[in-house]
Parts: sequence; C-alpha cells; structure tokens
Amino acid sequence: MSALPRIGAHVAADAPTAKRRRRFLGMGGWEFSLLVLLVIVTTGFGLGVPGFFDDLSGFLGMTGNFLPFGIVALGLSLVIFTGGIDLSVGATASLAAVVAAQLWATLGLNIWVAGLLGLVMGGVLGGINAAVIVFLRIEPLIATLATSFIYTSAAVAVAGDSPPSGFPEAFNNLGSGALGLGSFQVPYQLLLFIPLAVLFWLLVGRSAFGRKLVTVGYNSEAARYSGIRVPRVLAAAYIISGMMAALAGLVLSAYYSAARADMGDVLLLTTIAMVVLGGVSIFGGEGSMGGVIIAVLLLGLLRQGMLIAGFSDMVTSMLTGAILIGSIAVRNIFSTRVGGFGKRLLALVRRPAVAVPDTTRHDAP
Amino acid sequence: MINARRMLVLAAAATLAVASIAAAQTVDTSKRIKVAMVPKLVGLSVFKANQQGAEAAAKTLNIDFLYTGPVTASAQGQVDVFNSLIARKFDVITTTSNNPTQLAPALKRAMKQGIKVVSYDSDVAPDARDFFIQNTEYPAFGKALVDSVAKYIPADSEVAILSSTKDATIQNEWISALTAYMKTAYPKMKIVTTEYGQSDPSKSLTAGLNILQAHPNVAAIIAPDGASVVGAAAAVQKLGRTGKVFVTGCSNPDAIRQYVKAGIIKASPLWDEVKEGQLVMHVARLAANNALKPNDTFSVPGLGNYTVKDKVIIFSEPLIFTAENIDQYKF
Repeated sequence: MSALPRIGAHVAADAPTAKRRRRFLGMGGWEFSLLVLLVIVTTGFGLGVPGFFDDLSGFLGMTGNFLPFGIVALGLSLVIFTGGIDLSVGATASLAAVVAAQLWATLGLNIWVAGLLGLVMGGVLGGINAAVIVFLRIEPLIATLATSFIYTSAAVAVAGDSPPSGFPEAFNNLGSGALGLGSFQVPYQLLLFIPLAVLFWLLVGRSAFGRKLVTVGYNSEAARYSGIRVPRVLAAAYIISGMMAALAGLVLSAYYSAARADMGDVLLLTTIAMVVLGGVSIFGGEGSMGGVIIAVLLLGLLRQGMLIAGFSDMVTSMLTGAILIGSIAVRNIFSTRVGGFGKRLLALVRRPAVAVPDTTRHDAP
Repeated sequence: MINARRMLVLAAAATLAVASIAAAQTVDTSKRIKVAMVPKLVGLSVFKANQQGAEAAAKTLNIDFLYTGPVTASAQGQVDVFNSLIARKFDVITTTSNNPTQLAPALKRAMKQGIKVVSYDSDVAPDARDFFIQNTEYPAFGKALVDSVAKYIPADSEVAILSSTKDATIQNEWISALTAYMKTAYPKMKIVTTEYGQSDPSKSLTAGLNILQAHPNVAAIIAPDGASVVGAAAAVQKLGRTGKVFVTGCSNPDAIRQYVKAGIIKASPLWDEVKEGQLVMHVARLAANNALKPNDTFSVPGLGNYTVKDKVIIFSEPLIFTAENIDQYKF
C-alpha cells in the first residue's frame, strides 16, 4: 500500500528527466550530425571539385546564390515552431519586391525608402495571414495557400507587362556585391544573414517569446491555459515570417537587378526543406534555430557544389527531395513525440508475444 | 576583248573562292575550349535540335561541349547554371533566355571574368552578351506566317490570332510584323480576334475552341507559338472544320506532323534548329578566339555567309514545313 505511491512518485519524477535527456540528446545529436555532414560536404567538394574552393573570397561569394532561401527559412521556422505553415512566403517575397520596385520606378521614391516600405508590406501580408488563421479559424495550410494565390495575382497585376529593372548599383550590391577588405571579399548578403541568424537563434533559444512560441506549437491548449496569449504569439510569428520573406524578395531583386512577379516561386519548397532538415518538427513545438541555420548552409552548399561538379539541376532537385524524405524518416524514428514510425517498429517486434495467447485462445474451443 | 573580260570574271571568281576558303580556314581551332549551351529548360525538342547541331559542330571545332539547363523554364534556374559555369571557368556560355533582365547580372559577372557570352533564339539584355544570333528577321517571319494561310483562303477572309502570353517579346514582334504585311499584301483580310493560350497545351485548345465558336466565319488561325499552334489545330479537328479552317504557327515538325498530314496545317514556318545549333558553336569559337568584331562578316562551311551587325547575327530565312518536306525534319 505504501509502496504504490512511491513507485508512482518515482515514475513521475523519472519520466520528465528521461524525456528531457532523450530530447536534449536527440536535438543536440541532430545538429551535430548536420554539422558533421556540412563539414564532409564542404571538404569533399573543396578537394574533389575544382572551382568550389579556389580561395575563401570565392567560396564565401557562393553563399550569395542561396542566402535568400536562408533568410526566408529563418522567418518560416518561427511559423513552423507554432505548428503552422506559411505557404505564402514565395508570393509575399514577390509581391513586396514588386511593390517596392514599382514605388521606385513609377513614383521615383528613393530605392532604400521603397525597400523599407516593401519590408513593411511583407509584415502587413504576414498580418493578413495571421488574421485569417486566428479570426476565421482557417487551417494555416489552407489559409496561406489561399493568400498565396491572392498575393501572386496581386504581384502579377502590380508588375505589369514590363516589370521594373535596372536598380541603382548601390542597391544591386545588396544582392551581388561584396565588402572588400583588401583582397578579401565578404558578400553583403552574408553580412546581412549572419546578424539575422544570431538574432533568430537568440529569439528562439534565449527569449521568453521563443519559449512561448515553442509551447504554443507543442500544445496550444496547454499554452492557452498557462496564460500565453496564443493569437498574439501566432500573429508575431506570421508577421515576422512575412517580413523575412519580403527581405528575401528585396535581396533577390537586388541580385537580379530586376523584380518579377514569379521571382519568389522558387523559395517556398526549398525553404520548407531547409527548416525540416534543420530538425524543426512540421507538427510544431520541436527543433532549434541552430539546426535550421546549419541546414541552410548544408543544402545551399550541397546544391552549389553539385552544380559546379556538373550535375544538372534535375539531379540536384531530386537529391533535395530524397534528403527531405530521408531526414523526416530518420527524425520520425527517433522522435520522442510523434514517434509513429518508431512505435510501429517497436510494435512489430513485440506483436508475436501478444499474438501467441491470441491463437491459443482461438484454438482452445 | 571578250576573252579578256571572261578572263577577268574568272579571275575574280577564283579570288572570291580562294578568299572564302581562306575565311573558312581562318577559324583557329588549335586551343581546346569549353563551351556550354544553356537552353530555357532541358527536355524541349526544339532545344534538343539545337543541341544536336551544336554537338556535331563542337567536334570539328575542338570544343569541349556541355549541354545543361534548368528543369523548368526559370531565370533563377538559369542563373544557378551560369554561376556554376563561371566557377568551372568555361570559355564561352551560349544561352537562350527566359528573361532578358534577370539573367543580366550573372552574365555580366561572367563577362567580367573573360567568359564570352553568345545568346541565341531569345536575347538577353544587349550589354550582357557579346553576340546574339537571331532566328529570323521579324518581317520575314511575319510574311511567312501570313503566306502560310493566305494562299488557301479567300482574300477577304476573317483571320484569328492565338498567341502565347500578352508580354511575350518575340510573339508580339511577329504579330506586329504579320499585321503590317497583311495590310499591304492582303488589304481585305481582317484579324477579328487575338487570344492567348499561355504556352499551355490545354489552355491553347480551349482558346482555339473559343475562337472557332465565337467567330464562325474565321477561315484561318495564325498561332505563332509551339503550344498554341497545336491547340488551334486540335480545336479545328475537334469541331470537324478540317478543310474549312487552316492553321499555321511556329512549332517543331514533330509536334505538328499529324496536323500537317491531316491537311489542317498547309504550311508552317520555322527555321532549321539543328543548323542553328551549328552556327551557335561557330560563333562561340570565333568569339573565344577574339576573331569576331561587333560589325563583321564571316562564313561557315555548309551553312553560308553571315553578317554581324551591331553584335547581332541573323541566322536564316524562315524554313516552311509542308506535307511534302516535313518528313525530312525530325525534331
């Protein structure tokens, strides 16, 4: 009688620590394996593929070809942490960039002011997403799919028959320029991405907002009962995602020195792949920003390396898909929470033990 | 006297012949170079036909040839490919662009590193390439489109246009060229509507059906786009208007062969994509050798003489596919 509560207490005390330890190891392990993979990929391409690593400046310069994806991934991670999804990031990027470009081209606004208004526009578009999700109670998947159609059409309408191009050189530098320190060159895109990455890492891992974000994603009801204003957290996540998408759109238009309505289309799928590969659970509440940042570099450099090695775009796209499936499968097996696949595997192992008494019972009469 | 003149003519002819041989021989192929051909997307038969010609020419020109491009027709995909080619230190990049302005920064970066850029088919911004090979002259192609249907219908017929998209540069040039030609050559002919099939086979078919149902008097559809010509021809077939409505357009022969044989398409202009691929490689070789000036002339054995005018080279007159000749072309 007195033993029972003790066992119960023991179990209750032990379960969270076991869970926490497993989760900590799981997450840390995931990031660590990504990092190892990144080192392998970089040194592998560096040694085996001429042109991949000729000098440090050239190598860093290559990041300018994929960092817009990384910028979107940072914002999109917040949304996925909450258990939602933002399918409108590509359309938001296009619309914000096209609007900024038109403000510059037709109204003669200073390009930087126009760019700033583009960022604000991205925030507004994210806010609309949040409003649709919170007030109309529409699933994020459907809500952002719908708004992505609307934003894309708006972008096409704003862009017109001849989308603006030929921005001032100072603005183009944001996309394709580099800060020269003697012969050493650091692309402006990287100088933009590094502080953002640090900021997002602190925001998710070290701030109260980050805790709330993850709690909402882990269990939105529990978050509500513990006093977290869930709609406010969701709104912040979608607004930030919208602004980051807009920033990526602006960087892309600087990179191409042109803004087009279909420019952001390529962003969405690769970015989701980066976030998921980074270890953020698509069901929310799990993952770390560090993983996402490593995944951005990993997928980005992998793609660049493959392209330089002469593999066609087709092969690289296929590989991205395969990596995505592989990473989700691996995560599902080791996940402590979703665990479907891992549990089923365990069940498969255990079933014979259950099945034996079953058959004897059937045989008995 | 007569003899002397004859001698003179002969001498002149001989000099010309020698000169043209000399011109053909001046292509210096001693140094092996790396040339890439980047189409709008891989897997489209017209671009494969370019590749076929380019590959054959590359062998004779001591060129390491690479055919690579994005899976979908995206400028972003092409830029990715350009970046990799720059890193791999190619000597020449040849490309047909998905978007003239978006590709420019990457190509300018290539040019800054000493890589020659040759565009063909669809041009990039003029300051982002060394040479552009234009398929045919716009007026010539506009004339060919009109002539391909006008011969088979009464001079006062109603004609419809089914194009790709509203902002398609080349299509719009052709449409204005054919409108201008029609006004002078067939003044009584009337263009009653212009529809767009978005370069999509099913949308083009729908647009074709719309034209035929909304304008029952239309005797010809001019569809200067690969998808729309097939859509228009399929619409004519579906509504049983074969022999009453004629279609022409701009497509590779394989895609329209059945409609040409069925008599829906009497004639359809294009250009020889295989030979164009050969020309692209010759220009790439000359550009790599720094042997071609912005205004210049050169000759290519088996293809003919070409003039460079302000960095633009016109490839050829339109090539008209008909029931008689279409089986000679497989692409």
